Amino acid sequence: MATFLLNINQHPREVDVDPQMPLLWVIRDFLGLTGTKYGCGIAQCGACTVHLDGKAVRSCSIPMSAVGAKNITTIEGLSPDGQHALQRAWQQEDVPQCGYCQAGQIMTAAAFLEQQPHPTDDDITRAMSGNLCRCGTYLRIHAAVKRAAAQTKTP
Amino acid sequence: MKRRDFIRTSALAGGGLLLSFQAVAKRIDGKPVAADADVLGDYIKITPQGDVLFQFVKHEMGQGVSTAMAQILAEELCADWEKVKIEFPMADKKFEHDTGGSCTIIYQWDRLRSAGATARQLLVEAAARQWNTTASNCYADHHEVINKTNSQRLGFGALASAAAKLTPPREATLKDKRDFRVIGQPKPAKLVPAIVTGQLKYGIDVHMPGMLYAVIARCPVFKGKLKSFDATNALKVKGVKKVFTTKPITGLQLESPYMPHDIREGVVVVADSFWAACKGRELLKIEWDEGPNGKYSTEDFEALAAEHAQHRTDPTGYVGDENAVADVGHVRKTLRASYVFPHQIHACMEPLNCTAHTHPEGCELWLGTQAPHLIVFELNRVFKFTEDKIKIHLHPSGGGFGRRYYPDMAVEAAFISKEAGHVPVKMIWTREDDHLHNFGHLFQHMEYQAGLDKDNKLYAWYEKELRTYTWGAKYADPQLPSMAYNIPNLRYDFEDLIQHELVQSSAWRGVVGHGRFYHECFIDEIAADQKIDPYQFRLSLLRNDDVFVGDPVPVSGSRMRRVLMLAAEKANWGKPLPAGRGMGIAVCIYGGSYVAVIAEVTVRDHQLSVDQVTIGVDCGKVINPSGTSNQITGGIVWSLTALFYGGLPIKNGRAVYSNFHQNKLLRMNECPAMEVHFVETDEERPGGVGEISSALGVPAVLNAIFAATGKRIRKVPLRADAFA
Repeated sequence: MATFLLNINQHPREVDVDPQMPLLWVIRDFLGLTGTKYGCGIAQCGACTVHLDGKAVRSCSIPMSAVGAKNITTIEGLSPDGQHALQRAWQQEDVPQCGYCQAGQIMTAAAFLEQQPHPTDDDITRAMSGNLCRCGTYLRIHAAVKRAAAQTKTP
Repeated sequence: MKRRDFIRTSALAGGGLLLSFQAVAKRIDGKPVAADADVLGDYIKITPQGDVLFQFVKHEMGQGVSTAMAQILAEELCADWEKVKIEFPMADKKFEHDTGGSCTIIYQWDRLRSAGATARQLLVEAAARQWNTTASNCYADHHEVINKTNSQRLGFGALASAAAKLTPPREATLKDKRDFRVIGQPKPAKLVPAIVTGQLKYGIDVHMPGMLYAVIARCPVFKGKLKSFDATNALKVKGVKKVFTTKPITGLQLESPYMPHDIREGVVVVADSFWAACKGRELLKIEWDEGPNGKYSTEDFEALAAEHAQHRTDPTGYVGDENAVADVGHVRKTLRASYVFPHQIHACMEPLNCTAHTHPEGCELWLGTQAPHLIVFELNRVFKFTEDKIKIHLHPSGGGFGRRYYPDMAVEAAFISKEAGHVPVKMIWTREDDHLHNFGHLFQHMEYQAGLDKDNKLYAWYEKELRTYTWGAKYADPQLPSMAYNIPNLRYDFEDLIQHELVQSSAWRGVVGHGRFYHECFIDEIAADQKIDPYQFRLSLLRNDDVFVGDPVPVSGSRMRRVLMLAAEKANWGKPLPAGRGMGIAVCIYGGSYVAVIAEVTVRDHQLSVDQVTIGVDCGKVINPSGTSNQITGGIVWSLTALFYGGLPIKNGRAVYSNFHQNKLLRMNECPAMEVHFVETDEERPGGVGEISSALGVPAVLNAIFAATGKRIRKVPLRADAFA
């Protein structure tokens, strides 16, 4: 066990856990933020995607000891009011079915659009192909990412 | 027997209207609940603030049925859609919670309309009394009741408490479909805002003070047993509290009357965190008795099925002459083919889980389940808990696909909570558990024969299905002729392979359709033999009449013809295609709905790509075109995963794949362009939609592969060397 001081969704939080414990389980079981999902535990499905200093990572495969002072953002912290361009686009395109993978999809897309605000269709497909959706909502995920990107004005 | 609902009103605590329904529901022992029993279920609440709280008793697992049901209710109520909220009540024997078989909307349609209309009439009546006028002088519109004479208005919230004191009308007057404003609209699913903000609580998200976590090391071989275990090292892991065997609740539990299932023997590790439980499990030393299947592999099983397929059994059903295919007087040419649809895993994105808190007489459970009544049945049978001492909190789930119909996770979790000292325990199946010792889609081997007469007409159809799950009955109802083709002589044989099983078989999205709809490939083979275009061949073969085959809804040749023609038109069937490209068709009837799928594929450099899938649908009255399209395109993705990657290979009794790095699911870069087109129809009633395409992508693509390459593939998943 070891004590870690985390910065999550812009709040400092202290946890006392096994340094090997993946960030996912700290977020879910110790910090009570259950929007981040367990899907596979081996970084194959993307359901657990969060941001570390703005970069999309698979929290199931990052041990606590590797997190350090990085800023963690989960789906709960993506926007203050749930109105991030992607969250609105997901509503407008009526994307989810069961919804379980969608937080991970949105977190992947959010980090991607920060890097690449004006992607092509192929860019979107490449960026999103690491995230599984068993319900098969891929076309709508694609459409929603595209819609959100279109709303990002060129400076 | 026609279902009747008994409707009552009562006041909500704090004011407002509570509309309760008592269905003549079946109890778990199969006997109807007495009509006068005091078992009213709460259905709709209208608060004084005007919120309509719809008590959603079915299971939401991504099929969108919570939104669709709310739309039907809101329509008849004349409610403001934005004020309708979905709530998940506790399980209760008086509700029909059962969710599966693509039939929720089919059976809830009348009830929801009646409920909404009843509540509307009560609100109108309440307003009329307040205004000293007649109800016929008032009408409801957009969450208000309006006085026709003087245009006075009162909101639903303001009227709810007064409406609660009125006696419901004997019969509700339903709206004319021309006045529908919510039904038929592409409303985004009600749960989207909660989903995109991470707020929707699935079973796996439950937390309570003092809760422990559990994982089970289950026997890797079906029907194997636990010989011994040593927990010394596991117990040294910090946080691990207890280790014990699950033997008392395991073994073949086939007496379950609805859905036979097995729970594998194992050793459970209980810890103060999920992570510690997993670490402890890794350190268990376990000896298994692998039992009868320790040297049994998929190839052995499939060879056995193929061998059995060569023998005719007594026909389960037939039309015309049962021996027509062997009638040398008529049959001049016989075509034969064998098709295989193997076991598959469900891979629900939310891994199986259940949180349980037992006490000496009963328990409380939290989970997403398609069949709470089965859980009650099993907990009663295994632990002797009586119905009134079992409380089940129903959560939406991250995919059910048939797997969450089974009660095993609830039995496991309740047992663990009990053995751990009646503490709350969340039991989770890891994704490895999901692959290594899970239930699978039932196996199907389809054996076809077609007899052509002297004019090359399809005279006789013989079909033998060999399957590993029969829902308790020795033979499944064949429901001939389910294909809507006009074939004078049809015969269906069935053989149960459950005794030879490698894994526990179960329902899987699309259920028996996966094997059954291979008939679309065999139809294609017959068309190819006769050198007739597969589209034209189907049109010529479709019956002109409607025929009843046991369901209330007839098999209609004309409805099938319309979806087929629509799909062909939209897909531009017959357009010239370059070498290596091809189109294929498959059609089916499922859940009272008619579907035609046309796939366009490219085979190039030994690789298959599915480029475009066009779907024509007649699912009767469409409640929500957005949700319905989402289901249908999702179903195609489901079937393409089975085509490219599926299967649950077993080697010496053990599953070969342990996680998604081996058992791949279709990804966005492999997803075809898809279009869903609805037939314009005057059908008054809705059909099912959740599973209507999930078994049709495979035959459509296999037929397209033949068109592109001349190669006939009769088994999924595609082999790595399929196009070598």
